Amino acid sequence: MQKAIRIGLLVLVAGFLGTLVVFNILNPTPPDMETWNNMMAKGDPETAKHHFIMYTDIFCPYCDKFSDAVAANQEEFEKNYIEDKNILFEIRVTDMNYENGHSENSRPAGEAVYCAAKQGDFWSYYYALLAKVYKDYHSRGIGVDRTSPKIPTLSDEYFYEIADSLDTIDRDKLVSCMENDETVKELDDNTAKAQKKAINGVPYFVFDKYTANGFAGNWNTKNDYEQVKLLMDAGLASKS
Amino acid sequence: MAVRTIIETVSDRSKFALVSTVYLLKKRKYLLSFLISFFVFLFFLTFFRDGSSNWQLIWSGLPLDRKLEVIGKIFPAMLENFISLYGVTIIFLSFFQAIVIMQIIFAWRNREKNGALDSASTGGIGAILGFIALGCPSCGVGLLTPLLSAIAGASAVALAETIGHIFTILAFALLLFSIIRLGYINYVIIGSKNYKEEHAKSH
Repeated sequence: MQKAIRIGLLVLVAGFLGTLVVFNILNPTPPDMETWNNMMAKGDPETAKHHFIMYTDIFCPYCDKFSDAVAANQEEFEKNYIEDKNILFEIRVTDMNYENGHSENSRPAGEAVYCAAKQGDFWSYYYALLAKVYKDYHSRGIGVDRTSPKIPTLSDEYFYEIADSLDTIDRDKLVSCMENDETVKELDDNTAKAQKKAINGVPYFVFDKYTANGFAGNWNTKNDYEQVKLLMDAGLASKS
Repeated sequence: MAVRTIIETVSDRSKFALVSTVYLLKKRKYLLSFLISFFVFLFFLTFFRDGSSNWQLIWSGLPLDRKLEVIGKIFPAMLENFISLYGVTIIFLSFFQAIVIMQIIFAWRNREKNGALDSASTGGIGAILGFIALGCPSCGVGLLTPLLSAIAGASAVALAETIGHIFTILAFALLLFSIIRLGYINYVIIGSKNYKEEHAKSH
């Protein structure tokens, strides 16, 4: 009797694991191919043959892995993928980690990048902010996984400081934008749109028919561009 | 009183299990089975440690050489486990699973099939729970998150994180239970074998 219960439990747990794997493979999230914010997209929306979307949160460590690798190899990435393969590369910033109660910083960080987009230079600010978060926290093992220490709640000054190092972002305009909550609605709406698609964790990648959640780069090789290439090539292969 | 007896029994059996584990690790063929099991479990746990992204790459339209590249990247990642607490958890899970496998093989070879099967099923549940608990739900990587998202919507991440922690603790508890139970059985078998050998020598 005891043996039957044990075997039954084993079958149940194994079945549950099987269900998880099958569900992950057949993830039914329908793609939303309309660009959310044109400032956060690279490539030509009119002529692009492929659409590569990354759902992200500034304080998501695995998103940071991906974006750091792209930033460090920006020229090659833009030439080999965006131009040569005619890809529309779009970043969809959410504050999911704030909504899920995992990071207070996700919300002001999200507001800041949307404010930078309003000033016309999302990309410089986005990469500069991610590099700072990597240098201050992720590279030191803070806020990288569920067992690591959490990143403390940061003041808005942390996000204003980035503007000082960029010619294209006006610090006063950034301060005013954040103080007046000018981009909160856009951030909230976009997070809600992502959650409606059952995307509750980031990074979440949609590349034409290929979708992937998570990014398996290595922490000790900061610019894990090989993993980026695998992801991009898997996306390109899904179309053919 | 009853609690004290249970604690004493568990404590005694743990010591016996430790003795039998060390004894088996000194035997070359059991050490080999331990090392192979440890490597295999560590490989698969590392493969899924960041959720299903590696799995998705394997099932994508990538050519074979690129898929082999995905597998090849797991080996340095296995070493990387040693530098984070989460990675160390994975190493310990693999270590305990390998001990269970080694104990099962010894019990099986010594006609203790019932004990071996019982521990295999308990240890098996522990191993599977360990797999399910992998990932970092708040980072979007974890086997549990997509399924729970469909059921629990926006609260799925917090739920997945809590369930993940519970499953990890359960996995360790079940594996330890299997090791103590089977280790004690094997201690008795080893003692009996040694007695028979000495008895045969003296006659």
